[in-house]
Amino acid sequence: MNLFNKPTLATDEREIIDSITQDGTERKKGEERLFNRYAYFIKEAIYKYSLPEEDAFDLYSDTIISAIEKIASGSFQGRSSLKTWIYSIFHNKYVDLLRKKTTNKNSIHQTLSISDLLLEISDHSKSIVQKLVDKTDWEILRERLVQVGESCRQMLLLWADGYSDKDIAGLMEYKTSDVVKTTRLRCLEKLKQLYRNT
Amino acid sequence: MENYLEYIDAYFQRMLDPEEIKRFEQKITEDKEFADEVAFYLSAKQSLKAEADREKKEWFRELLAQQRPLIDINQYRSAKRIWIYRVSAAAAVIVCAFFAWYFFFANNPATPQQMADNYVNENFKNLPVTMSAELDSTQTGLRLYNEGKYDSALSLFEMISQRDSRNDLLKKYLGIVYLRLGSYDKALQHFQAFEHDNLYYNPSVFYQALTLLKRNLPGDKQKAKELLQQVVNNDLDEKETAQQWLKKW
Repeated sequence: MNLFNKPTLATDEREIIDSITQDGTERKKGEERLFNRYAYFIKEAIYKYSLPEEDAFDLYSDTIISAIEKIASGSFQGRSSLKTWIYSIFHNKYVDLLRKKTTNKNSIHQTLSISDLLLEISDHSKSIVQKLVDKTDWEILRERLVQVGESCRQMLLLWADGYSDKDIAGLMEYKTSDVVKTTRLRCLEKLKQLYRNT
Repeated sequence: MENYLEYIDAYFQRMLDPEEIKRFEQKITEDKEFADEVAFYLSAKQSLKAEADREKKEWFRELLAQQRPLIDINQYRSAKRIWIYRVSAAAAVIVCAFFAWYFFFANNPATPQQMADNYVNENFKNLPVTMSAELDSTQTGLRLYNEGKYDSALSLFEMISQRDSRNDLLKKYLGIVYLRLGSYDKALQHFQAFEHDNLYYNPSVFYQALTLLKRNLPGDKQKAKELLQQVVNNDLDEKETAQQWLKKW
């Protein structure tokens, strides 16, 4: 990704993006800087969009979470400044919020949609998996996550948050990424057993 | 039941070749048990992602609370729930405060310097520290500050500042420590340094006025008044406090 030569990005914007694309500790610093950098958008949402403070905070937090994912996966192309890009996500999420409010779905929190992951599967098999996923008891699954043990829980959360096995090895002080992979799959298996034995 | 998790993981990590991908997807349509395993993998990952996002939001709340020490967004929900009690309590306090003011202060208004002293004592006694267990130099500095170890906090903040000159919050903390130590010129420099930064809570101009009132050199009081007026006119952070102070000037 050669976005660092793009003239549209200011130095501190490049630094933030660079941090987020690095390994664990550096990424966390980048995430913190990104959140702090545009936190004044919350005020804009309160004054411009007349949102309650809590909704404005959720809107901005969801924006930053989404931006972090995109930056970490390399989807941010750097065609505009970071601020412009973040603001466009922020605005789109505000439009989504309005839409949800008008259709009585009074929450801007992400629903447990797995559409992104399902995109990986061909259409032929997708509907089969979707039907099975729809039967998931999300509340039980969430409860079982607490029972897998703190270490397993931390590892699985990092994995779901997009950290690679190599990143997790660095963050959780495992010797190699292979050890992380084996442990992670064992944790996932444990979660599955706990969930299925409900 | 066969353990397919590694195979499924390899598919979603894009580690299978085109032929294997084809077989994988074919197996979903032919093998119910396998399709169940794929569905569990996806459900688990999505549920974990939602949990990770929830935790991240809590961390964001702590970051925001650090930017804005006077209002803790964490307390927003509970504050909302008990607002009626607070309004009642606030009304009682206002009535008492009015009588106290009327009997004790009406004929003897606080000087701008006294107001500055009160503000520093009330707002800079403790600085917000996050609850994270993670070792962080800035947090250590804040803890030292809260223990009254201003010199140690200052050394640490200066050291971090040399490594990370773009840390806007650090400029604010440095200014506050210098203010507490009575190094007003240094405090002013640091407060001026974040005046144009895009912080969620940016009381730079107000803090400059506050420092001038504390320094109290010839001309400082007038300059502080102009800065407070600027806070009010430009709708800057700490506008309400600036308005109150100007009224009592």
